[in-house]
Amino acid sequence: MSELSTQWAEKIPPGIGTGPAWLENLRSSAAEQFRTYGLPNRKDEAWKYTGLRMLDKSGVQLATQIESPVSGLSNSTPLVEFDLTVNMLDGQFLGQIGELPAGMTLLPMADALRRNVPGLKELLGSLDMSRSKKASSDGFSALNSAMLGDGLLIHVASGVDAGRFCINWATRACENPLLFNSRICVIVEQGAKLELLEQFESLAGNANSSNIVFQVSLSEGASLTHIRFQNEDENAALITRTEVAQHAESEYTYIGFDLGGGLVRHDLHSDLLGPGAIADLNGAYLLDGQRHVDNHARVDHKAPGGLSKQYFRGVAGGEGRAVFNTAVCVHPGADGTEARQSNGNILLSARAVVNTKPELEIYADEVVASHGATVGQLDEQAVFYLQTRGLSETEARQMLTTAFCRSVSDKLSDPVLREIIADRMMDVMPHAG
Amino acid sequence: MLKINNLHATVAGKEILKGLNLEINAGEIHAIMGPNGAGKSTLGYVLAGREGYEVTAGEVIFNGKNLLELEPDERACEGVFLAFQYPVEIPGVNNTYFLRAALNAQRKYRGEPELDSVGFLRLVREKLKVLHIGDELLHRAVNEGFSGGEKKRNEIFQMAVLEPMLAVLDETDSGLDIDALKTVAEGVNRLRSPDRGMIVVTHYQRLLDYIVPDKVHVLADGKLVATGGADLALKLEEQGYAWLEDGGIASLDAETAGRTASQ
Repeated sequence: MSELSTQWAEKIPPGIGTGPAWLENLRSSAAEQFRTYGLPNRKDEAWKYTGLRMLDKSGVQLATQIESPVSGLSNSTPLVEFDLTVNMLDGQFLGQIGELPAGMTLLPMADALRRNVPGLKELLGSLDMSRSKKASSDGFSALNSAMLGDGLLIHVASGVDAGRFCINWATRACENPLLFNSRICVIVEQGAKLELLEQFESLAGNANSSNIVFQVSLSEGASLTHIRFQNEDENAALITRTEVAQHAESEYTYIGFDLGGGLVRHDLHSDLLGPGAIADLNGAYLLDGQRHVDNHARVDHKAPGGLSKQYFRGVAGGEGRAVFNTAVCVHPGADGTEARQSNGNILLSARAVVNTKPELEIYADEVVASHGATVGQLDEQAVFYLQTRGLSETEARQMLTTAFCRSVSDKLSDPVLREIIADRMMDVMPHAG
Repeated sequence: MLKINNLHATVAGKEILKGLNLEINAGEIHAIMGPNGAGKSTLGYVLAGREGYEVTAGEVIFNGKNLLELEPDERACEGVFLAFQYPVEIPGVNNTYFLRAALNAQRKYRGEPELDSVGFLRLVREKLKVLHIGDELLHRAVNEGFSGGEKKRNEIFQMAVLEPMLAVLDETDSGLDIDALKTVAEGVNRLRSPDRGMIVVTHYQRLLDYIVPDKVHVLADGKLVATGGADLALKLEEQGYAWLEDGGIASLDAETAGRTASQ
């Protein structure tokens, strides 16, 4: 176990609160797993290309609730106007702006745990913390469960269209940066609909880091559109895991944008449990400097007639390092599945690195599957063409790389948000060389 | 406006232009004709500043400036426009967005105020009307999935919006049917102006039925070997380029003269 793992393990309180027995069991067994196996390391297959050196070097310490009283800081405003915004500061519920629509419940996680909201126990208990043979591989999930207390519960009742809202995450700067744990649980009942934007921004340089688990349960015919926009400080780590359980005919759409962060890891997993479910996963990542962004996307087809699409685009400049792992597993009985995977990358500098790996396993019949992964450079003919019209070489390259990433933002249905995110991508577009 | 003196250029180590001289005054249209491999497209790329086209001797003076010292975008901002033989497809970049960015880059260079989207659209509508082009090209990505004719019309449209001082049209007629050719030629003719010079590079005389040049030059083996009026193009159409090997321009004139006399 690494020194950091030992330090953090010692900080996990023996008993966090006065919860029901199932909750204390969940926390203590997770704490036990973390104390025994610690954080992931390069020997874990899923962490082969992503080391935790940045965390080691910056000496990030595990935050416990006692050390982090929420002060009256305000988060930056959401990218577009929302009727409902929930501000989260350093992983904790700060406040809610706007009214909840009828049929939607939103509670800080601590309250939800106290009230023992129906379905919450099952959802929390469903988090798989032994996805690989090596328990250290799920070290961040174990840590998150051991520290379970902060976060949000969102519930949308059957048949309700709850519209859209924003979870506005912010992290503060500290002399000695901290890592905060937070848990989001989203339960969308039968035929209900929800759209949410998660926005991550650091309020200052040298910001705190986050370890967030986002769990979703979609009942029959339910729909969730999940947009994520993260532009954190280059010294911050953002470790997230999104787990989506999809029942029959449910639809999950993910559109993510990684523009910032020093060490970013996102495990995005959709489990298609019922027939006819759709998982549509899209993302763009832009890296410069020494930033490291690792996306692991996976869809498990466990029922017939499901459709999954994975579309990810990445641009790496400077000494940036991107990792992209896309996996599809079509389980026995998931006949008539359609699965598409596409990952394209542009390297803008000789020192940038992209590791991309598509995986496809099929154990069912009548499956339509396609996958492709490319790593390339910009089309020099196109650069010249734009220059002959008056754009400088830098402008031409920025326009071409932005266009490459726009193919992801174009999937946003809100034209205003689409343009704002495209502009923000242009702002951070890595330079060549 | 443009003065090319003794221009030598190599591509991948091979000399393509071997001492080309050409002078163009404002308001003139010059046609450059010649067989394949003579260096016609190379001339266009050298003027536009394409990487890999190395000038080994000679100079190009454009409005008193040494053009060869400038980056491709600076040349564009100074007023040089190259209409490509094969316009490049750029997926994901909207045609209108691209053209506005290009126009504003040029305006900024010249110290003129940038156009906002309303002002730009007004300008675009005006140009489309003059050129008799519909607005369907505006909403698509630059040249992506365009037919040959659409690509060439888009080049002319860009030229109309950017209003260059010197336009170089590189085989704009290639791959066009007669209707598309007429549309393109009409567009070019509408852009004729006393302040603007044009170089029309073409393999066939056909285009020159619609764009009547002030001067016609024959480019062969990296040099201009003949210069004449619009009628020179007709002679070339009749006799091809074989005379280049049979004794040069003198033999062409003699033969043409002979034929004219016998008619």
